[in-house]
Amino acid sequence: MSPLVLSAWSAVSPYGVGAEPFARGITAGRCAVGPLDPATHPGPFDRGGVVPDFSARTHVGKKGTRTMDRVTALAVAAVGQLLESCDGGPVRQPEETALVLGTGSGSVQSIMDFTRDSFAGERPYHVDPARFPNAVMNRAAGQSAIWHRIKGPNTTVAGGWLTGLLALSYAARLHRGGHCARVLCGAAEEYSEQRAWLEWHGRSAAERATPLGEGGAVFLLEPAEAAREAGHPALARLLTTRFRAYGAESEVRAALAACVRDALKTTGVAPGDVRLVAPLGAGGESAALEEAGVGDALGAADPRWIRCRPLLGDTSAAATSLQLAAVLAAAGADGLAPGEAALVTGVERDGTVGCALLAGA
Amino acid sequence: MYDNDQRPARRVVITGLGTVSSIGLGVTAFLDGLRSGRSGVKPITAFDTTGFAHANGCEVTGFDPAEWIHRVDATELGRATQFSVAAARMAVADAGLTPEELRARRALVSVGTTDAESRDLDALVDVELREGPERLPATVVRRAQAGRLSTGIVRELALTDVEALTLPTACAAGNYAIGSGFDAIRGGEVEVALCGGADAVCRKTFAGFYRLGTIAPEVCQPFDKDRKGILTGEGAGILLMESLETARARGARIYAEVLGYGLNCDAHHPVAPDQDSLARCMRIAHRNAGVKPQDIDFISAHGTGTRANDVTEAGAIRQVFDAPPPTVSIKSMIGHSMGAASALASAACALALTEGFIPPTVNHHETDPECGLDCVPNVARSTELNVVQNNALAFAGNNAVLILGRHREAQ
Repeated sequence: MSPLVLSAWSAVSPYGVGAEPFARGITAGRCAVGPLDPATHPGPFDRGGVVPDFSARTHVGKKGTRTMDRVTALAVAAVGQLLESCDGGPVRQPEETALVLGTGSGSVQSIMDFTRDSFAGERPYHVDPARFPNAVMNRAAGQSAIWHRIKGPNTTVAGGWLTGLLALSYAARLHRGGHCARVLCGAAEEYSEQRAWLEWHGRSAAERATPLGEGGAVFLLEPAEAAREAGHPALARLLTTRFRAYGAESEVRAALAACVRDALKTTGVAPGDVRLVAPLGAGGESAALEEAGVGDALGAADPRWIRCRPLLGDTSAAATSLQLAAVLAAAGADGLAPGEAALVTGVERDGTVGCALLAGA
Repeated sequence: MYDNDQRPARRVVITGLGTVSSIGLGVTAFLDGLRSGRSGVKPITAFDTTGFAHANGCEVTGFDPAEWIHRVDATELGRATQFSVAAARMAVADAGLTPEELRARRALVSVGTTDAESRDLDALVDVELREGPERLPATVVRRAQAGRLSTGIVRELALTDVEALTLPTACAAGNYAIGSGFDAIRGGEVEVALCGGADAVCRKTFAGFYRLGTIAPEVCQPFDKDRKGILTGEGAGILLMESLETARARGARIYAEVLGYGLNCDAHHPVAPDQDSLARCMRIAHRNAGVKPQDIDFISAHGTGTRANDVTEAGAIRQVFDAPPPTVSIKSMIGHSMGAASALASAACALALTEGFIPPTVNHHETDPECGLDCVPNVARSTELNVVQNNALAFAGNNAVLILGRHREAQ
């Protein structure tokens, strides 16, 4: 079987809509986190990384977006950007194309607003039926498929900070199982007051200061041969994804090191070939443990580290997808060079770690 | 845990079942309920139903998390995760694997859901309205994460070499999760998979379906001419899957073989199903499983009991099958348990194959001629089965069809 490659990508991020502003911002190391206007972004945070001037109406269209929530609009826009960048090729055989999209718990704003209407309305069923699908967690993936007419498997993935890595793993498995010819795969997360409050209360004191970010990234995953035939550049080969679980936080370092070692060993990549590492870099002790774990596995190798979180804020479910986009941004238009490998890693507070290993095609 | 290694495809079997349902906790009670056509319907207690003209549902009763959950503090788990973890414990015990044997194998845990911990999100809204968003309790906030449905299982079973995947693909999510486990074992990525779905009854979803006019006032009557809609339900179904090779090596009891599955998306309407697209999904599943329509001995339908679902689903079945096989809906007994629905239905199919019976569609008076299917009304039917099909549909036109086969030891 022809190896799977990433042959196109798009991003909607605090740098703006599109892969280009993202690539410029990331490669320049420019921080996109800024002050939040409490009138438009109420909640416990006074700084954040929001997609500037983004709305469903302006970026998706005036028609059919009246009830579209923000995470759905971000996903629809990111998928649209990707399709545009490859002239709609992936949807010419819509039944053969899968869409695998990661989200947090869908839109917690939409879900909790819906319940709020039920509590606060004159009758408990005085809720807006047109918004009911927004309150179900497969809305962003489903609406992206409806909007862009993608008729293959349509799957929503959730896994906290590891969501993007899990979506990639699921997508590759789906392809290998013979369920599609190609996969559009990524994740999206919205900034909302409700998410902000949940994050604020859910975090430990040490993590609380990190501002929230939002955005999404989507990738075209297809066999190298198909990419060549379609004239898509093979930006990177997906070599493997690996996951492990840990008990106490003190085990994070060893768990991630084991994960990365296993990935390298299985694929025969030498630690020294890993030239780029994009870690999650979560708050508290986690970021240092994550980098130490990667360091343990890579030994004397001296890769370039791309740290997205200080630039974008905590993008939650979109974080690892945006890290992957950052790797591709750093690799440039030709992608990773032959013999060059890159690593995307993450540590989830629920006790899991994961990584994706990529290499030049 | 993807990689490009070329390995021969393995056969995948189900060797353990864990079921938390409104008709019984554990596989023995669930089987007994399916055989006897037990109904799990009762007035909803999950939330204050004042103001709704009717509020029956299919809740899980008598569930004590302490009975099943030993390592993790159950108060750190929402109700759906408690169900998911309990069902996983049951499945592992049912498969006859010790925790140590399980930990020694590379694993995939994949759990589908519609609402995850939306019941907790409902409770948090209540706190916000009464006390303000500054007062949210941290424990509830932390556990109200969709990812917990699978990581909860990992923590409880102390797994380390594991991928924990939650698939919130709404009401078809159970089949999605089982499908991914099937692919992972078939491709040799993992040596064991704990897969299924879980959900807990919540106000949000009840209010939404009620507003759409799709909640039945009393009982759920799939394919009946007088059917009035769904009853929201809850529970979890977790299947322990492994390769035929490892199951044989340890002399495990095999419920059924997973033959394959198909997924597709209508890409048409947010809530209304599309007949042609659903028919296409069934054909995809048959192709993936290497079976023909005439091989299917019965269909476990999505069968929600709404006007639209049942007539569309029956139409799709007639498109694919010249002579449709018996087509039942266990939602008549356990309600619509959302993300758990197709997982519990898969468990029911596995039991049906092992025990040689077709579960009934209860509450049935007169079949809707527009559906025109043999829904095995009210009484289970004893018969030898070889191949069965489990349909699942979700909002946004997310279809998932799973095919299971009876396992026979080679002569």
